[in-house]
Amino acid sequence: MIPTLAGRLQTRLILFFLIGVPVTLIFALVQTNFIWSWREIQIFVYFLCSILALGLFLDPIYIFIQSTRWDRDWPFAYQFFFSWIEFGIVLFVARSGWLPYLDPDFFQGFRLPIIHFTLVFVPSYLFLLGPLQAIFVRWRFKGGQLGKM
Amino acid sequence: MITFPVRFRVRQIGIDGNAMGQSRILLCEEPGAFLIGKTDEADVPLTGDAVSRRHMSLVLTQTDVRVRDEGSTNGTYVNGTRIDELVVNPGDQISIPGWVLELLAPAASAATTTHVAGVAVDESLVSRLVMTNDDAPPPQRRSFPAMEFDGQDVVSADALRSSGHPVEEVKFAAVGGGLGSFVWVDHLRCYGIQAEDIKAIGTEEVCYQTYKRYCKNSQIPDHERLRSNSLSRPDNIWGFPGYAMREVGKGIGVKGIFQVFGEPTLSESYTPRAGDVFDSLDIEAKRIGWDEMFLKAQVLGLRKTSDGRYAIATKMWGGEATGQARNRYIIADVVHLSTGYPATRFVDDFQDFITNHPDSRAQVANAYEPHDQMYLEAERRGGPVQVVVRGRGIVASRIIQRLFEARKKNPDIRILHSMRSAIGPRDGAVFRKARRLVRNNVEIQPFNWPKSCWGGDLRVEYERASDEDRGIMLGQLGGTTTAERSDWIAIAERGAEEGWYEPIYGNISDLEPLPAEGREPPGVKVTIANNDGNDVALNADYLIDCTGLIADIRRSPFLADLLDTYKLPRNHAYRLKDGKADKGGPTGLRCSNDFEIEGLRNGNGRVYAAGTITTGGPYLAVDSFLGLQYSAIRSVDHLVTERIHRVRNLGPFRSLGGWTKWMVGARP
Repeated sequence: MIPTLAGRLQTRLILFFLIGVPVTLIFALVQTNFIWSWREIQIFVYFLCSILALGLFLDPIYIFIQSTRWDRDWPFAYQFFFSWIEFGIVLFVARSGWLPYLDPDFFQGFRLPIIHFTLVFVPSYLFLLGPLQAIFVRWRFKGGQLGKM
Repeated sequence: MITFPVRFRVRQIGIDGNAMGQSRILLCEEPGAFLIGKTDEADVPLTGDAVSRRHMSLVLTQTDVRVRDEGSTNGTYVNGTRIDELVVNPGDQISIPGWVLELLAPAASAATTTHVAGVAVDESLVSRLVMTNDDAPPPQRRSFPAMEFDGQDVVSADALRSSGHPVEEVKFAAVGGGLGSFVWVDHLRCYGIQAEDIKAIGTEEVCYQTYKRYCKNSQIPDHERLRSNSLSRPDNIWGFPGYAMREVGKGIGVKGIFQVFGEPTLSESYTPRAGDVFDSLDIEAKRIGWDEMFLKAQVLGLRKTSDGRYAIATKMWGGEATGQARNRYIIADVVHLSTGYPATRFVDDFQDFITNHPDSRAQVANAYEPHDQMYLEAERRGGPVQVVVRGRGIVASRIIQRLFEARKKNPDIRILHSMRSAIGPRDGAVFRKARRLVRNNVEIQPFNWPKSCWGGDLRVEYERASDEDRGIMLGQLGGTTTAERSDWIAIAERGAEEGWYEPIYGNISDLEPLPAEGREPPGVKVTIANNDGNDVALNADYLIDCTGLIADIRRSPFLADLLDTYKLPRNHAYRLKDGKADKGGPTGLRCSNDFEIEGLRNGNGRVYAAGTITTGGPYLAVDSFLGLQYSAIRSVDHLVTERIHRVRNLGPFRSLGGWTKWMVGARP
């Protein structure tokens, strides 16, 4: 991957809307036995939004790390690793109750957040490895940005 | 079917370019291969300093007449284009320095043959050949396309039609017929242009033929890997699925996928096998209907027409048409130029050596020319063989690997690696906060340029920079590098340990031939001025020069004509000298960020370019698979934006549709 800063931000957002939100909503509905109750579902959506916000915030740091590499690239393995770090940070912050909109009791058990994140992460990551290029044909030349050159 | 005897008219050409002396007829009465060269052993001895001892062969079979270059120094040309081996037709002019042979049509009557056969012949010639005086008048000056093109920068379509040559009209024409043309045409097809609106003109039906030849010469056979990325698929404009995934599909294995995951830090960078790339190109060529669009012809010239289009003068190549019937014009609305490396030349001292010492030609080779016999000879000889490899970089690495493989047959092969200077681990190039890695005195980089030059932040920065700043960036980012391959590193380390690989630092100051003495085979004496100021003389059996080719676009008559007629600007190489950017020599054709040659704009007509002829412009990696795709997508998107040739945009839905068609193998 050879993203630019704008590319990283745009790609995160498009993956969030194309994959993150739909998967989260379906997962949340499964948890509530397909009863639409915003009170129950909102926690999953807010959790995902928190990970997104953390990611957007950390992106400039990743770009800095890229600039110290000769190829100025971002190995796929690094993205895999750091995505899980972001998840871990938000999970532990939520558990300790520092986020007012996330109920800390909900995150005491690891099982549910991990399954949720895996279901979002795996398709998003696989999409990043190639299928995104099939839809946005100039994406790989624009450092991850959408649109024409 | 060839009618024997086959007749050639042979004329000697003086320094002024005019024919000297009487022209003669060469008769070949039977099929066979006839060597032409300077030595007495040649079937047809021709004199001249610039003629090699084994210059070329005329290969006659029952079905065709071919010309084959026998590894000559100065080349063999057919109708002005340098060739390795080519079928020739009556009317073709075969030239070597100082001589022109013209293949004549079969004799009109048998009487001519008997008359000629009665003439006294030179006993030293093979009896299958007869050389005799020719009483035919000198031939007419070739006037295609000079009659219509010379001195004009705009021609009218009607004038072309009344010239008597066939005129074909098409919307999109790609000149070159190689990988650059293929990638551009592939993009046009995937964007929805029909095959009948496109013509690709070149001299080889297989679009990767020239590329494959360079690979084979520099010792990369089909099973070896190229220096290219998994997602750089010249047969797939989306770059997905990458070659690593293709290897999984073909049952080759999953190692590639893991390499793509961890590259370049946790694993060696994945690179595809040459043969896999060629196979995938064959499949895509069929899918887009390349055969229907391809025209096998040589392009002789290009002119603007008065109605906002372009006239391309072509001469059909290798088909059944003969003589004047091979000339035709193609009028196109949009033209794409991707003619590749023009006639290349070697570095100066290498060129001087082979010109001054033609007898030692077999002892030296440039890595990009065919030189397989050197390895075979080294393998077959018993006893010590000393090979000097000059230059470092990816080609040198591959040559050293080939010599390592040769050592299995002859363990007494020693490799002396001549490099300009030692590079310590902390001496790699520096760009802002990053430093390039060094292993075994060679700088390491997975691909020709830092990866970000293709589509990351460096691409944008380089495009926006001024010419001078580009020169500075190029100086920092460029340079000779090789890939970090564990097998190559192991070869160098093991060789140094066991004593058969020795790096020698310094500049090669002199090359002298060592003639064969008694049982000592011939060789070359290489004098290296090392960095302490001393001269080190090495007696080598072979010298392999891996310092690359020098490409000058003016050496292509087609491009030189275009540059002169339209005063097209060229890029310049800026180098950092004493802190400021110094303007250097001209490099490639100047084009816009969308790869348009703006000097050739003609009403609604547009000309684009791609590949090595655009060197020095807004994009660094022009000479790579992904770079060709970048040029193609920029130029086709430019057509979309200009809205004049009805090219529809490839938005997300059409793109997904096109990709799905690719996946199932359906025509676009």
